[in-house]
Amino acid sequence: MEKVSVIIDGRAFEAVKDQCVLEVAHENGVYIPSLCYNSEVASSGGSCRVCLVEAHQGGRMRLVTACNYPVRKGLEVKTDTPLVHRIRRGVLELLMARVPDSEVIREMAAAEGLSEVRFRLDEGEDDRFNCIACALCTNVCADVVGVYAIAMVNRGAEKKPATPYYKASDVCIGCGACAYACPTGAIAMEEEDGVRRIWGRDFNMVKCGVCGTPYIPEAQVDWIVKTTGKDRSFFDKCPDHR
Amino acid sequence: MGAINSIEQLEAYRQEIAAGVKADLPTVLVCFGTGCQANGARPVAEAFSDIIEEQGLELNVNIGIKTTGCHGYCENGPLVALQPQGILYLKVRPEDVAEIVEESIKGGRIVERLIYRDKTTSEMIAEYSEIPFYKHQHRIALRHIGNIDPASIDDYILAGGYAALAKALRMKPDDIITEIEDSGLRGRGGGGFPAGTKWRSCVAVQSDARYVLCNGDEGDPGAFMDRSIMEGDPHSVIEGMIIGAIAVDAHRGYIYVRDEYPLAVRNLNSALEAAREKGLLGENILGSGFAFDIRISRGGGAFVCGESSALMRSVGGEVGEPRAKYIRSVERGLYDKPTVLNNVETWTNVPEIIVKGAEWYAGMGTEGSKGTKVFSLVGKVNNTGLVEVPMGISIRELVEDIGGGILNGKRFKAVQTGGPSGGCIPERMADLPIDFDSLTEAGSMMGSGGIIVMDEETCMVDVAKYFINFLVEESCGKCTPCRDGLPRMLDLLTDITEGRGGEEHVAMLEELCDLLTWGALCGLGTSAANPVLSTIKYFRDEYDAHIRDKKCPAGVCKALITYSIDAEACTGCRLCAKNCPQECITGKRKEAHVIDTEKCIKCGVCRDVCTFDAVRIS
Repeated sequence: MEKVSVIIDGRAFEAVKDQCVLEVAHENGVYIPSLCYNSEVASSGGSCRVCLVEAHQGGRMRLVTACNYPVRKGLEVKTDTPLVHRIRRGVLELLMARVPDSEVIREMAAAEGLSEVRFRLDEGEDDRFNCIACALCTNVCADVVGVYAIAMVNRGAEKKPATPYYKASDVCIGCGACAYACPTGAIAMEEEDGVRRIWGRDFNMVKCGVCGTPYIPEAQVDWIVKTTGKDRSFFDKCPDHR
Repeated sequence: MGAINSIEQLEAYRQEIAAGVKADLPTVLVCFGTGCQANGARPVAEAFSDIIEEQGLELNVNIGIKTTGCHGYCENGPLVALQPQGILYLKVRPEDVAEIVEESIKGGRIVERLIYRDKTTSEMIAEYSEIPFYKHQHRIALRHIGNIDPASIDDYILAGGYAALAKALRMKPDDIITEIEDSGLRGRGGGGFPAGTKWRSCVAVQSDARYVLCNGDEGDPGAFMDRSIMEGDPHSVIEGMIIGAIAVDAHRGYIYVRDEYPLAVRNLNSALEAAREKGLLGENILGSGFAFDIRISRGGGAFVCGESSALMRSVGGEVGEPRAKYIRSVERGLYDKPTVLNNVETWTNVPEIIVKGAEWYAGMGTEGSKGTKVFSLVGKVNNTGLVEVPMGISIRELVEDIGGGILNGKRFKAVQTGGPSGGCIPERMADLPIDFDSLTEAGSMMGSGGIIVMDEETCMVDVAKYFINFLVEESCGKCTPCRDGLPRMLDLLTDITEGRGGEEHVAMLEELCDLLTWGALCGLGTSAANPVLSTIKYFRDEYDAHIRDKKCPAGVCKALITYSIDAEACTGCRLCAKNCPQECITGKRKEAHVIDTEKCIKCGVCRDVCTFDAVRIS
């Protein structure tokens, strides 16, 4: 792996060529906020725009998303400039107008000294409650789980994640990775009496043979057995009792 | 004849076609462009065929697609041109055909009632090249359109087609790139990036495969430059792409065409097929051993798919959404391979540059913008249509000399250039040369070449609202500033046009513009501020009139205007009352009428129908 040197806020760090700025920053204790990026999800990032930072390279400066800007030789990054904060505040104000009830967004905005929204608040349809349309859920489903149960539908302000034709998906395994990954907790996942409900479909849960806790959807076990060849009996016990 | 196996055979074939054409015989060119076809060009062409067959006339009948329709005479179509005389007939109906044959083809005389008559001077002009609209043009990208039949590869070869390919096959790939670099050719799709530089960066990347793409998505409302080229001269695009493929060592190319262009798709497909049959495309091109083929990829019509990274995703079968271009597509483009993407007009210029040389091309245009540019000139101007002019021509020359001035003698107010995310330039800056850098400096952009002319009855706040609304509809929704910022801008503009605007509205608009310019993901978002910022900059007085005085000076914004009838001018003809959909105009015959402003919906029908100019807007 080729190593390059990068300057972030005046300090030089060593990084792997093409590694993203956000990772290099976080590894070295420089905080850059982010929402739509998850290092485990290859196609994530670039959409929410809260991680915009100044990239100075080749005599040119532009704002780039730290989550997917590749580190190359001669790069200098500034994360704490008036421009960075001005644009970040603007992005957060728009997100607050979109999802006024989201705690995560409100806290992030407060850190930028923003508490009031001057724009018309979104009426907010129920099914996109707290959703910032960042697509991390659909990226997790595709890249990590590999089942493609949900995708971003519509465009513009109406864009949102959904199952095909808004119907309960046949291919969804109920794993809940989308809900765990969602930065604003916008995906409803409920469990009751050994049944998990997500994306409008009910999934029977496998109970742990030791503690009796329902811990994994049957459909997810089927999927893992099918794709990895793991023995089904492995799932008789929950991770705590294996 | 089957495949042509060498450069020598191509030249021999060209001679063979030329020998079969009787130069002294007349040729009838019937415009088959979309506009003329809609106006009934087909029956006209059939009438010519029938008479010629009936009378046993010896004639080169060539039913070709001409852009003449698109040259501003769509409303005067169907158009018929006669060669070698170079006469252009307008609004030709099937019943005129016998007379044209008798008078012009046999008798060598002009049918006066069918020729161009200047609207201001009443001068009658029969010769195509003397009509002011064409006189000031310089056609390179449109060089063949109107003169050749796009369905005939022989026509293209006869006109010198594929000679550039033959020349390129004898050149070193590196020299081809140098030629394009030296010509100064910049991308005609909107970005204006130097084509040669792009090609060279692509070659510099080590890879087992490279791709050559053509952007025929042309999504700007009112723009039809690329459509015209794909429909009227598909081989020139194909030839340009083959040359590009030789230069960057690509073996596969795609032309991305929006599905709303069925004629372009059909003509490109038949041209590709013909080129393959002739050995100009596919394995072993002209016996050189070089292999390259092109496929057509049909786009669904999303505006954002004209953006390079969205286009590449769409070609690759994914959702057409832009991605960050921190790693450029010349490095990682289609299927993550190095890719050269140029638009239709750029590719069309390539063969001509190879044949005539970089120096010739660089001799036209301005310091930073070489060559010519095709514009679609539309709006409140007498001659609307497609024009190709050298870069650097002033806005005024374009509007007045070629466009023939403003419709109905109204006052010229502004031009909007560069498509929905371009900007408005006021009349007082009309001497600005049209080139990439001047337009950008003025707060607009070249874009793909749309020019919308506006007169005194155009409200600039309404214009900004119109374009922002377009962009709201076309935003893909991937990034926050564009997805959520544009609707907020539309809210603010709507407030202003409906009389709810305050002083803070303009400041908030400027803030959102700043956010989009710096923060959006792709070109759609980063340039979306242009229509708002340029109108605020040059027409601040109109924003102020809407906000402070609650008035729309141009009389467009419905919430801020009222219709009334001038009792002095009204003759009491009852025409407005009869046409009013609300039935809210009252008055006796031969007495002044009155509009009930309570019921009036401000549709403007009364004003349109009044022949005495008695309906006033205040």
